[in-house]
Amino acid sequence: MAMAATLALGAVAACSGGGGSGSSHGATIFWHGYTGPEAKEIAALGQEWNQAHPNQKVNVTFAGSNDDALKKTLGAFVSGKTPGVAYEFGSSITTLAKRPQTQDLTSLVKGAPDFKWDDFFPAARQAATTPDGKIYGVPALVDNLALVYNKKLFDAAGLSYPTASWTWTDFQNAARKLTDAGKKQYGWAYVNDGTEDTVWRFLALLWQAGGDLLTPDGKKAAFDSPAGLSAMQLLHDMSVTDHSVYLDGGDQQYLNLFNSGKIGMLWTGPWDLGSITKDVSYGVQILPGKVTHATIAGPDVYMMFNKSDRATAWAFLQWLTSPEVHVRFSIATGDLPLRQSETQLPAYQQFLKKYPGDKVFVDNLAKNATKSRPNIPEYSKISQALGLAVQAVLLGKAQPQAALDQARDQVNSIMAGA
Amino acid sequence: MAVVAADRAAGERRSARRGGRAGGSGPRLRRADHLAGWAFVSPAVLLIGVFGLVPVVWSLLLSFQQTDLTSPGTWTGAANYQKMVHDPVFWQAARQTLVYCVLFVPITMLLAIPIAVLLNQKVRGMTFYRMAVYVPLVTSTVATGVIFSWLLNPQFGLVNAALGKVGLPQQGFFQSTGEALPAVVMMTVWGWLGFAVIIYLSALQNVPRELMEAAALDGCGRVRAFWKVELPLLAPASSFLLVWLTINALQLFDEVYVTTKGGPLHASTVLVYYLYQQAFVDFDGGYAAAIGSALFVVILAVTMVQLWLSRRASHYEGN
Amino acid sequence: MADTALARSRGHARTTERERPPRRRRRPSPLHLILIPLSAVMLAPLIWMVLLSISTEAETRRFPPGLPSGVHWQNYLDAWHQGPFGHWLLNSALVSVSCVIGNLVLCSLAGYAFARIPFLGNRVLFVVVLATLMVPFQIVMLPTLIVMQHLHLTDTLGALIAPNLATPFGVFLMRQFFTTVPKELEEAARIDGAGRLRTLASVLLPLMGPTLATLSVLTFLNVWNDFLWPLIAVQSPGNMTIQLGLQNFQGQHFTNWPVLMAGTVTSQIPVLVLFVLAQRFFVRSIASSGLK
Repeated sequence: MAMAATLALGAVAACSGGGGSGSSHGATIFWHGYTGPEAKEIAALGQEWNQAHPNQKVNVTFAGSNDDALKKTLGAFVSGKTPGVAYEFGSSITTLAKRPQTQDLTSLVKGAPDFKWDDFFPAARQAATTPDGKIYGVPALVDNLALVYNKKLFDAAGLSYPTASWTWTDFQNAARKLTDAGKKQYGWAYVNDGTEDTVWRFLALLWQAGGDLLTPDGKKAAFDSPAGLSAMQLLHDMSVTDHSVYLDGGDQQYLNLFNSGKIGMLWTGPWDLGSITKDVSYGVQILPGKVTHATIAGPDVYMMFNKSDRATAWAFLQWLTSPEVHVRFSIATGDLPLRQSETQLPAYQQFLKKYPGDKVFVDNLAKNATKSRPNIPEYSKISQALGLAVQAVLLGKAQPQAALDQARDQVNSIMAGA
Repeated sequence: MAVVAADRAAGERRSARRGGRAGGSGPRLRRADHLAGWAFVSPAVLLIGVFGLVPVVWSLLLSFQQTDLTSPGTWTGAANYQKMVHDPVFWQAARQTLVYCVLFVPITMLLAIPIAVLLNQKVRGMTFYRMAVYVPLVTSTVATGVIFSWLLNPQFGLVNAALGKVGLPQQGFFQSTGEALPAVVMMTVWGWLGFAVIIYLSALQNVPRELMEAAALDGCGRVRAFWKVELPLLAPASSFLLVWLTINALQLFDEVYVTTKGGPLHASTVLVYYLYQQAFVDFDGGYAAAIGSALFVVILAVTMVQLWLSRRASHYEGN
Repeated sequence: MADTALARSRGHARTTERERPPRRRRRPSPLHLILIPLSAVMLAPLIWMVLLSISTEAETRRFPPGLPSGVHWQNYLDAWHQGPFGHWLLNSALVSVSCVIGNLVLCSLAGYAFARIPFLGNRVLFVVVLATLMVPFQIVMLPTLIVMQHLHLTDTLGALIAPNLATPFGVFLMRQFFTTVPKELEEAARIDGAGRLRTLASVLLPLMGPTLATLSVLTFLNVWNDFLWPLIAVQSPGNMTIQLGLQNFQGQHFTNWPVLMAGTVTSQIPVLVLFVLAQRFFVRSIASSGLK
């Protein structure tokens, strides 16, 4: 019986072979989690590259959703079949940087002046670099938050549209006026599941108020400042006092509610614009400000994991993220440009024509997305502590100062290595 | 191959026994039994050993290390366990896991019995009704999570709309610290009910109809026939479900992951969710393994007690 | 001998079934009053998924949701054509069916022995089998991958089959149900000189139709719906299962719900069909007649 089973197994194993590690067929494996238009375009680009470079072939492969990219990569480390290149979330860099498979790209980047590293938007560069100055990724995507608003609801409430000089007070007042409990209509939406989705919007507020997450030496919490308190206070006032915020529990219905005219304003990124239905007339504006109009970027990267096909992987990534090629990717998919020089190309006008709402986000990249989350291993724990604090304030379970104090203590003990 | 040989040997022994002194060859007979027993279980046990036991032992070893799970770790003795004992979130998660289990298992079993009996009746369209009950079992947890989040949405969900219609207060469900865990219980009971029903139903169908008919002839009503005849015969299925549902309930993860993410404010953080965060968000693999090992010990103890109790119960009934 | 007796009584059972007066069917049973609402509650997600799968993309971008304006079957074609859907289904079927066969054979043997043969180490071994389930998969996942690598099974369908070929679930389920079969039956066969294996195959297993059907269906379902393990155990597109394939419709920031749901509903059809087929085994006939 056992023998029969083993035989059956062997047969299946034999007939399903193929695939294999990075360069088993000579082609460099390129893992991505793109779907829809992005998947189509990356496949087309891969084909184009292979035709021009028959000796440096790249095998563009869908490896499951990007949400699972890190798990999948770790699995590949264990089973020894690592891809030449893989798409990873920016937040995965600190985890992956320590692994022996992960390729340090610093010398490659420094040794290729034509690659023009400084041409990438600052947020994209920061996300690919660890605090010790080493570069582990090539920018793959760079997003940021802006204010997206429903013009019809603004008109109905007799409000003028948000401007680039909007303050927090303007924002809070507008949200209050857009709120109508009887119609179940809210001024603003906040993702309140306690994950990084909750935290990054708070970080934007913190920076706008002139505060920062950690002290300049990166050793202690710095968000328990007057700036941090004013950010928490704004959340408290809007959610608990004004009831003008729809708290999204994490099922991301906020966008569908926006489409249904139940929410007046969102703080969201360019990825959501494609999901806004045609009947909704919307506008995009930079985030309201206090000291600054800071926004936050959520960049992702391509990372390399094979020493053996390093040359091919690097050549392909250089080509893929070159201004002329990436602007084509942007036009096909609506992803923002990665480089400043892309916005100087004639093709960029085509991008703006196709995605008019994206202009604010692109401008943000040069002006308002200058700060970024620290690329340190402790960040995931810091994020959890802050997530709890923000959640407690939004739900009215804690006062802003108390929530900040508790989070500060937690973060300080995390940074102290506990 | 080995199975067949051992089996044949056992068969021969039996024949010999029948031909000779009945019951006189105790030790030899038992040896044949041992052989046959081991031969019968070994293929399954071997596979489960390689693919189940080896990783489990491995993970127990990890709990004494500091490791990110993919690169070699360093031995740290009982440090992870010391950390665990002093971690308030761990204890909160442990408490909530227990509460969840104590609610989920009995509710599921108590609902499943009447439904299984109902589905065992001769009514037109029964195939359809049975199918309907199994559907949640087939549905992916992600889809289940989406639909429950929608139904239980505090502001726009159907459930609160219905409550409002009959004048009951609005609830927060997944977004309330007090109700998140009960809401998860509700959703998982719904999701697992089909599983419990299918087990009970196959047990009921193993109940000889003649027994039920005889009971009916004896003047027992249907209800009494159920209590006297069917229910006792459901005992093995019940003890199976008790053990199985408990093992799964104490390892609740998917449903929390797709709805509350352990919140709000840790209100629905259960042990495996916490462990997952440690392992795949914070990459503290050793600590995650320690939590896993602690859970292992608890589940093992609970299962042993449950098996022992059900064995005693069946002895009692047998006599 | 036992076989023929069984066959005879089975035939007998069929006759009585056929001869039953059709009286019962005249008036709808009051039980429908409970069964219909119950079904509605349980079917809700499937109905919802089907509704989504025939909506337009814009219609799914509403909350609270409304009914679709019409039936857009196009979503099903889109799902089918966006990737090698048939190939994914085939891989899943190959893996699931192999595991069902493995479990039927291996778990019957083991379950029978654990229930009926008082061999040395019976109880300890049984607890060890169960114990393998008591450490969360999230922790044993990577160690299991290491085992696979040593067996040179990573990135083959074998990696998906091997760990599920014999499951503690199956062993436990079969053991539990073997304890309900009267010992007399087994002893009668043994007196006729049949070995344990023959007794098991020709006397006991035929009595356990419903249980074997249950084991088959639940094993199939588990393997078919598995996501996390295939995600890390296979890498080549050619080895993708349907659950991995469905990821093609779920982007990082954007999900095309109608197409995703069309794909999901399609992926669930084989499981639902299996449930219907298993119903045929759920008819009580063999077990009852065998006990006369």
